[in-house]
Amino acid sequence: MSLNKLRSFFGRSLPVVALGLAATMQVAAAETPSAGGELIFGVTTEPVCFNPHRSTQQNAYILIRNYIDSLVGKVEGGKFVPWLATEWSISPDGKEYIFKLRDDVTFHDGSKFDAEAVKFNIDFVKNAENTNSSGDLLRAVESVEAVSPTEVRIRLTKPDSALLESIASIRLGIISPKSLQAGNGLCAGGRELAGTGPFIFDNYTRGQSVTFVKNENYNWGPDYAKHEGPAYLDKVTVSFLPEYAVRAGALSSGQVDVIEGVQPTDIGLFKDQPGFQFLTGPSGAQTSFTLNINYTIPPATDVRVRRALRDGADIDALVKSVYLGAYPRAFSNIGRDGFFYNKALEGAWGNNVAEANRILDEAGWTGRDAEGFRTKDGERLSIEVGYPQPYVRDNRDVLIQGLQAELRKNLGFDLKLRFISGGEWAQALQAGSWTIYPNTYLPADAAQMLQGNIGELGFIRAVADKGDKELFRLINEALASTDPDEKKKLVDEAQRYAVDQAIIVPLFSANYQLAAKDKVRGLSFETQLDSPSNFYDVWLAKD
Amino acid sequence: MWRQVLARLGASLVVAWGSITVAFLALHALPGQVEDILAGDLDYPGLREAIAAEWGLDRGIGEQYVAFVTRIASGDFGMSYELRQPVTDVVASQLLPTVYLAATAGILAFSIAVVLATLTSGRGRVARRIASIVELTFASTPVFWIGILLLMVFSFNLRWFPVSGAEGWRSLVLPAITLALPTAGLLTQVLRDAIEKTLDQPFVTTLRARGLSERQIRVQHVLRHAALPMMTLGGWIIGGLLGGAVITEKVFGRPGLGTTTLNAVLSHDVPVVLAVVLLAAFIYVAASTILDVLYVIIDPRLKAQ
Repeated sequence: MSLNKLRSFFGRSLPVVALGLAATMQVAAAETPSAGGELIFGVTTEPVCFNPHRSTQQNAYILIRNYIDSLVGKVEGGKFVPWLATEWSISPDGKEYIFKLRDDVTFHDGSKFDAEAVKFNIDFVKNAENTNSSGDLLRAVESVEAVSPTEVRIRLTKPDSALLESIASIRLGIISPKSLQAGNGLCAGGRELAGTGPFIFDNYTRGQSVTFVKNENYNWGPDYAKHEGPAYLDKVTVSFLPEYAVRAGALSSGQVDVIEGVQPTDIGLFKDQPGFQFLTGPSGAQTSFTLNINYTIPPATDVRVRRALRDGADIDALVKSVYLGAYPRAFSNIGRDGFFYNKALEGAWGNNVAEANRILDEAGWTGRDAEGFRTKDGERLSIEVGYPQPYVRDNRDVLIQGLQAELRKNLGFDLKLRFISGGEWAQALQAGSWTIYPNTYLPADAAQMLQGNIGELGFIRAVADKGDKELFRLINEALASTDPDEKKKLVDEAQRYAVDQAIIVPLFSANYQLAAKDKVRGLSFETQLDSPSNFYDVWLAKD
Repeated sequence: MWRQVLARLGASLVVAWGSITVAFLALHALPGQVEDILAGDLDYPGLREAIAAEWGLDRGIGEQYVAFVTRIASGDFGMSYELRQPVTDVVASQLLPTVYLAATAGILAFSIAVVLATLTSGRGRVARRIASIVELTFASTPVFWIGILLLMVFSFNLRWFPVSGAEGWRSLVLPAITLALPTAGLLTQVLRDAIEKTLDQPFVTTLRARGLSERQIRVQHVLRHAALPMMTLGGWIIGGLLGGAVITEKVFGRPGLGTTTLNAVLSHDVPVVLAVVLLAAFIYVAASTILDVLYVIIDPRLKAQ
């Protein structure tokens, strides 16, 4: 499942966030962080599984990072920094990785972290019998060897430029071998799930909350952490509050300290309000919410039809009206804070109704039927968006309905919206019979992402022989490229080409949002996932 | 009388068996492979093999059916491949919070209905009219909205009760009221209607003639008669409370079957959904059986039949 591969090179964070954080940090600079206190975090989603090797849920990762560390950490600009491994080297042929490990790390269950523990983790995850979804990340791994207690050697069957990204991923976080051997799958968390993180997983009450307590021994934070030693907070309670209004009310009445997931209409309660703070995360790792058009099925085979769909509505105004300014409109499917985002596309397309009408006339869609839709040879100009029901969230269906209404009014274009089941989508994907697929893609390397979406192994894969060879070439070359500058050029061009050919219609960039009491200091976002960081650097200012 | 009770118990077992059969048939009638349906949106190495082995999918359909019924009868609902835990453990750990919530709400709704209906039935027009409007409002207000409203007033503003959780009685107050109000609204209407009909009966006139006080007449005699139509609604009430619990638990961030069901449906965790559906069917069957038996006890006329 290449879709889940978390790969290298996405980078710089959103200027707005940088500003927001800088402002927070200025306040923080005047104060000395103080240890102690408890914090309650209200979240949208109760994780299905707390074991990082098994979870594929973005909203689980924001909790898992509190008790799970990785060998290396990832920072902005696609760079990696030491964490449980102090240094690493890669052989010239790219088939051998050597990691030097810290020798002062212990798991929450008291056992020692060493090369054997790392080997056990990788072997365990890779073994299909243990049914770990993260096993996918280790396909290229041939063998792991504990050379000495502080040195691990990983041999690959073939070079894998994404291995470091995988190792840095939370999905290959290190768990105590004792825990893994217990054999219960560890999905229900609790003390049995012993990692090395700054917090210990204390308790899980299904349907209600989890609690983490400080790991007093912790002294091995990643290089990007802002302090050393144990976490500041004594205890973190995570409450599952799936209802937007309830989360906002819980924070505004002071019953929780931080919430994740703020409804656009509730932002005003916290943003620039005394006693509260509101932080917006980057959108660089995840892709924009994008309509992918299957250009092998008529009438979308005609580029003029696709361009009319792209330009026939004011996407800017639609996004603003649905999200009230909380999410920015997108110009590319790569997130606007990603290193590989093609900034030149901003303002380069969209909202040109006159031109859209002109090219539709030119393409022969000149008739009109009783309902006012354009027709050609008696056929209505109509394309269906098949939206898999499980992925419908935060008013994305409303946005598409807005687009639908505008296209009908402006062009006489019939954009149908149908909610389909996950199974139906899987079948359409296999047959290449889907027409428009709206999606956001999990964090991944930019070229890998393009490949998984619009490359020859993307959604079009079943009918790739009819696909756009120029687009495939750009993406394949970007994937093979080892030179970052050249790769950036190719990815830029692929985005430009895909938008120009209206193979994709990007709509908006989603991001994580945090609202908190202003006494909560040190909140930030993780580069690798765009999501809120763990609570290691977080502390509470005195009232 | 005991013959009736036994017959009723036998019938309820047949219904329970029927619901298991329907669940089994539904699973096999759905388009696609049983493995894929049970896997939901999941895909990890070894998953399909694990499912095939556990459900014995290589055996004949008849053999699978017998194994399925036997398994369910012994309380084994299989594995949740999503949660990677036995379904029985998951459901069992969530049953109690929901039972607390539903029972508290049920008792509350029943008490409100009895008190309100006894006080207001057969009284002045204005009082009845007001009571009736209030009841109608509660009966037709969505649980979701009542919950948010109660939270805004009593948790966010007055801060008397916590917003979420299931620790101690304080966290039970708002969810129980939320869940009780719509049921109470409807029950009161039904009960008052029945009381008023009963008050017109000749035997009430006889009682009055014997010099009983109005309170004695209402509480000791009329209420017992009027309770019958309310009991008829018993099954509906239990269904309403269980259904309402899904929403109430979500709004208040409470653990329970409702939350589990909602999460299972959203994550396409078919084994858990299947277990909850069957459990709901069993509860329903059990409840209506108990009510039927209670009828016989409350209404002496049925014993004679």
